[in-house]
Amino acid sequence: MEWQALWLSLRLSLWTTLILLAIGLPAAHWLTFSPRRWKFLVEAVVALPLVLPPTVLGFYILLAIGPHSPAGRLYAALTGGMLPFSFQGLLLASVLYSLPFAVQPFTSGFAAVDRKLIEASWCLGVSSAATFFRVIVPLSIPSIVTGMILSFAHTLGEFGVVLMVGGNLAGITRTVSISIYDDVQALNYGAAMHTSLLLLGISFLVLAATYGLRRRVWAVWPPYGQ
Amino acid sequence: MDNELNVDVRKRHPGGPEIAAALRLPLGAHAVTVLFGPSGAGKTTVLRLIAGLDMPDTGSIRCGNEVWFDAARGTRLTPQNRRVGYLSQDYAIFPHLTVRGNVAYGARGGAVQDLLARFDLAELAERHPRQLSGGQLQRVALARALAAQPRLLLLDEPLSALDAPTRLRMRADLRQLLDGVQMPAIVVTHDRTEALALADSVAVMIDGRLRQAGAVESVFDCPADADVAAALGVETICPARLVSMNAGLVTVEIAGVRLEAVATAGASADVFACIRAESVTIERNPSGNPTSARNRLPARIVSVIPEGPLARVTLDCGFRLTAIVTRQSEEEMRLREGEQVTAVVKATSIRIVPRG
Repeated sequence: MEWQALWLSLRLSLWTTLILLAIGLPAAHWLTFSPRRWKFLVEAVVALPLVLPPTVLGFYILLAIGPHSPAGRLYAALTGGMLPFSFQGLLLASVLYSLPFAVQPFTSGFAAVDRKLIEASWCLGVSSAATFFRVIVPLSIPSIVTGMILSFAHTLGEFGVVLMVGGNLAGITRTVSISIYDDVQALNYGAAMHTSLLLLGISFLVLAATYGLRRRVWAVWPPYGQ
Repeated sequence: MDNELNVDVRKRHPGGPEIAAALRLPLGAHAVTVLFGPSGAGKTTVLRLIAGLDMPDTGSIRCGNEVWFDAARGTRLTPQNRRVGYLSQDYAIFPHLTVRGNVAYGARGGAVQDLLARFDLAELAERHPRQLSGGQLQRVALARALAAQPRLLLLDEPLSALDAPTRLRMRADLRQLLDGVQMPAIVVTHDRTEALALADSVAVMIDGRLRQAGAVESVFDCPADADVAAALGVETICPARLVSMNAGLVTVEIAGVRLEAVATAGASADVFACIRAESVTIERNPSGNPTSARNRLPARIVSVIPEGPLARVTLDCGFRLTAIVTRQSEEEMRLREGEQVTAVVKATSIRIVPRG
């Protein structure tokens, strides 16, 4: 089993989740509370990774961050390195790919906060930004945790985008899902089995935790015949 | 005027009636102004415009020397900068904070402990809102608003979220609390008894328009027109014709029946006669004794409907007249449907308002 690949995947997922938390909260705030009429267009863009094939998304990201692109040249000028086939490039791709998995739960959490509470905060002299952190975020904790867990799990399992943008460099871009693909290609079914089982276990635990958190009250149906 | 709230605004919600309100409220007087009117009249909208939660389409809102809103100059102060204590109908207590956390939320200065004590909340300070009753939540909302040291309190239907017994108890309590805080307040309500219990002055709003404003007694006793009278719950409002005017008294005719009333300025030929049910007395047999009441009308009882300790008696004396009597009187006089009685109304109890 590829511990190196597993470690890389966990690192990638963790960083992706943290970055998505940092950019997803303000993005979701804007999507929920902005009065702009055209915000549905931004909503559609954020949701694109849900329907696009990972190869399409990966292909565009590869073009956008390639050494001849403006972004690629800027990155090279700043750091001397290249984004494609690097951990940083992979991280960028993962953040874009998992964006809806963070932003959508955040948005639905914010939208569920009673508007009267937000207005009460304003009338008490508390600024919109402070209201966000003192009222909206605390009341949206379950949705925020859900978004983070889904981002983490989604990044852990991604394959197509990683392959397009990161390739398969051991210790740099070879994530756990790529290592499974490699093992199968090499007819190394035993190793593939072990890694797959581990990924299955982690994914199940993560999702079980999500649904457990979401359900604040456990509804128990009475047994039949009573 | 320097020390008054001056509101003159118009606002149209898509698909709704236009709200137009002109209101002047002295800020030094610590008085309670009740914004009164039927549901849907636009009372809450006016409150939200003053608080800055909605912006008017045109007009201006000034508080003392400050301009809160001026459409012409493009001034739009945010709610944060207006410093009004706004209580929405369901109090909007933060569910994730304790009572103390709620009161301290927007507090300026260190008066939180004092306020908790003053509003009987000291023992509940560490409780969460879901463990509180409606009356307690209202006190938290009031204490929280006062902790932010507002210049003005705005209360939207403060008693409507309470169950009936609590509402009765809180009505008296709320008036005491408002007296104690030494701050001008605007209270929105559609309930007549609430308005009478809380108000120093009252502004009547109907269909988005402010129709009459003044001291509570003068508005309730002298409604400016038939719509205001109806909104204030005056039971009998009949179209009448002015027959004669003589020495400060007028004679009006309603469906062939002549009534004497005190003359009011500006009465035209077509008027409404407004008679409160409390002012109508019922006599069983014409006693023949001299009485000061100017109007004694033979009437037939149409219906007798018990309302708690009172009974509402509808009379037919050529026009429909409603009287309120105690249940005891109703029992003693054996008032039954179809029987003949005499309705007695003093001239001073008939309010003549112009029609049209």
